Amino acid sequence: MRLLTSRLTLPAVIACGSLFLASGCDNSIHPTEVLPPLEASSLDAGAGSWRMILLTGPTQFVVAPPAAVSSAAYQAELNAIKTAQGQLTSGQRAAIAYWSGGGVLRWNQIMRALVAKYNLPPAPASNGSYPVPDAENPFGDPAFPFANPAYAARAYSYVSAAQADALKSAWYWKYQHNRPSPANVDNGVSALMPVSDLPAYPSEDAVLSGVAVDMLKVLFPAALEEITLKAAEQRNAALWSGKASASDIAAGLALGKSVATVFLARASTDGLRTAGGSPALWQSLADAAIARGETPWVSQETPARPPMLPNFGLVRTWMMTPAEVVAERPAPPPPTGSPQMAAELEEVRKTVDNLTREQLAIALRWNDGAGTYTPPGHWNDIAAEYVRDAKLSEVRSARAFALLNMTMHDAAVGCWETKFFYFNPRPSQLDPRIKTPIGLPNFPSYSSGHSTFSSAAVTVLSYLFPEATTTLTALRDEAAISRLYGGIHYRSDIDGGKLHGSNIGGYTVRFAQQDLADQ
Amino acid sequence: MPVRIAAWRSNLQAEWVPPNAIVAAFSPASYIGAASAPSFSSECGMNVTLVRPLQLLSGLLLAVLPTSPVAAQAPDDGVLMSRRALNLGVVYAHESWSEYWEGTLKRSNDNIGTMTTQSVGVVGHYGVTDRLTLVGMLPYVWTEASQGTLHGLSGVQDLSVAAKYQVLTTPFTGSGTLSAIIVGAAGVPVSDYTPDFLPLSIGLGSRRASARMTLRFQSHGDWFLDGTAARTWRNHVKLDRVAYYTDGELYLGDRVAMPGLFDWKVSTGFRKHRFYVPVSIVQQRTLGGGDIRRQDMPFVSNRMNFTKAEAMVMYGLSVPTDLALQLGASRTLSGRNVGEATMITFGAFHTFRF
Repeated sequence: MRLLTSRLTLPAVIACGSLFLASGCDNSIHPTEVLPPLEASSLDAGAGSWRMILLTGPTQFVVAPPAAVSSAAYQAELNAIKTAQGQLTSGQRAAIAYWSGGGVLRWNQIMRALVAKYNLPPAPASNGSYPVPDAENPFGDPAFPFANPAYAARAYSYVSAAQADALKSAWYWKYQHNRPSPANVDNGVSALMPVSDLPAYPSEDAVLSGVAVDMLKVLFPAALEEITLKAAEQRNAALWSGKASASDIAAGLALGKSVATVFLARASTDGLRTAGGSPALWQSLADAAIARGETPWVSQETPARPPMLPNFGLVRTWMMTPAEVVAERPAPPPPTGSPQMAAELEEVRKTVDNLTREQLAIALRWNDGAGTYTPPGHWNDIAAEYVRDAKLSEVRSARAFALLNMTMHDAAVGCWETKFFYFNPRPSQLDPRIKTPIGLPNFPSYSSGHSTFSSAAVTVLSYLFPEATTTLTALRDEAAISRLYGGIHYRSDIDGGKLHGSNIGGYTVRFAQQDLADQ
Repeated sequence: MPVRIAAWRSNLQAEWVPPNAIVAAFSPASYIGAASAPSFSSECGMNVTLVRPLQLLSGLLLAVLPTSPVAAQAPDDGVLMSRRALNLGVVYAHESWSEYWEGTLKRSNDNIGTMTTQSVGVVGHYGVTDRLTLVGMLPYVWTEASQGTLHGLSGVQDLSVAAKYQVLTTPFTGSGTLSAIIVGAAGVPVSDYTPDFLPLSIGLGSRRASARMTLRFQSHGDWFLDGTAARTWRNHVKLDRVAYYTDGELYLGDRVAMPGLFDWKVSTGFRKHRFYVPVSIVQQRTLGGGDIRRQDMPFVSNRMNFTKAEAMVMYGLSVPTDLALQLGASRTLSGRNVGEATMITFGAFHTFRF
């Protein structure tokens, strides 16, 4: 035997070249966005007077005066910070870097991850039935919740709105008590994240952690452990960084938890618990469509799956009365037997059977189906970039996400009310030749949820970031038409949804115009 | 110049003129399989994995083309082309499954029914020297789910290339010849297909490279025994979306890290007269990646593992003498995030000598 080293050249070249191909790019892929340390462009010192969403006012929960900076108790707190700063581990420094990006932005990311984690429909049982997720058994199969787009829209809105009201109240008390941050009181305390002249008592980081834990453990009970750990890490990071003392944090945590009770009380009676309906309700919806001379929606899944939250249209909105929800309902879709519907059906079929790669990319980009953070999560993702780049203060960031998520919740309610009022079939039901390049949602077609969510979101985001209106509108249009490329919506679903979403967004914009934040 | 088979020429020459071509064909294929075997294994795996309804096809196709028939021999076996011999072939593969492993849970899915992946691939092997064979393969793949509403996909998939080099050959135990072959291989998608619609995607869309070592014992009689193993590295893939959830985390970006692969295979069989008949057991392990969650769709970076049994028959026609036909089959015996696939392949190969 002999080894011919010179003959090894070619395989070696191929192998090395392959490795180069395989490693030509930076292969380090990190889950979370890197956020620069937040140095807010404004302190928003007047935020304590901004209009509340649910609280009666900033003083609904009183934050007692803190100890003076000269007191022995406070000096002991400062010493504790110095001690902690003297022995920071790399993990603790990483936590400081993570939370310095902004608590509102970080909690928004965490919420999106929770939604993606729990956005899975129940698997069918062996007898063909579908078990219902049970809040009393959140770790079961199925897990609770099924964070579908409607559930997610509501969850995002509750947490965001509670954070906004809690921070407005916190801002009020900060400027009532005017106690600086530890790093500004004592030169011996280092500022390991940006420390501004914003008064530190009560700590905004602790407020956010308190709101988040108490809201999220109800919305995502199976995630209690990770939520609790994240919240504790946020409070610790505030302390380790010299941004807040132990008493700043204790006061903030208490305020956050108090505000959460107000929002949780509303959530417990907002109609979600009966949004799933019953077999009798599902049948009555089909019967009503038949009585109107229409072909009713039928689940295209096997075994047939009950429709997704058919009574979600009765869930309480943030900005609209129940009468306004009905009044804003879009005009009827083309009758299922009409020539216009036949033409629209033909358009869907031709589109999916001649799909370009770019159209497929658009369908996939906006799919936001099972296992994702849903369309409302997608718009939070987009909004987060604008919030980050604008260097909004924590309270103004919270307001932005509250406005965005309240209007998307209202859009979910309005859209679901529309879908289950008309109970219109999907294209692939009317023409089984139509196959979809994305998953088919298990609820009626008219009108398009993506179009409604996106249009409401862009109406509000364009108010908050008017310089981005052109870009945002283009994104909205792409999100909307993606559902035609996906073969799951007719064009009239999309047009109806866009108009509906704009109208719903208008309610929230009118609230924003009067909340004193932009005066 | 007469055809020569480098490694076994002495053993095989009498009966091997046609088989040689076949072998070459296979070996490139297998080679590809070896080199890209991971890849298409993985793809197979992927196919299998596709949670909903679709997945197996792409995997199957991939697997089929390189792996089952050709692959069985080529990379892993000790077969090489003779110097300046070119073997060109066409391989059709049909893979299907109606059950798959959702993580470790075996299940069916009425919204997929039977997932079928088919492919037609062109395969080429060229003997640069008696010790060095180059292999190339390119398949066209199409997928279909028998139930549900999901749309099938089709397209040209990945170009796989490999260089297979015999580093030693030596008499062994007096009863045969032992040879060792090293293989360097690479695969690259040649069309902009999406890997984000498993199990209906036609492939995983990842550039990859692998290093393989194969040992072959060829008896002085008709039978042989091959053992082979490879490590594959895969580049990240890019999705059309800006966020995805896998393995317990939400990733805010469009790039997906692809875990590496390890595969091994043991084959035995005989070559006699105009026949070449190997049977194999092959296993792929993905070195990372998450499971398909309950009732979720498969994802491109899932941990796709499988064990398969493969068998093949190659037959060299007497007229024309340089034409060989191949029939192969494989069955997934166990798996994780892949379909329980059955694959049939059919190939035809012709050898040209210069």
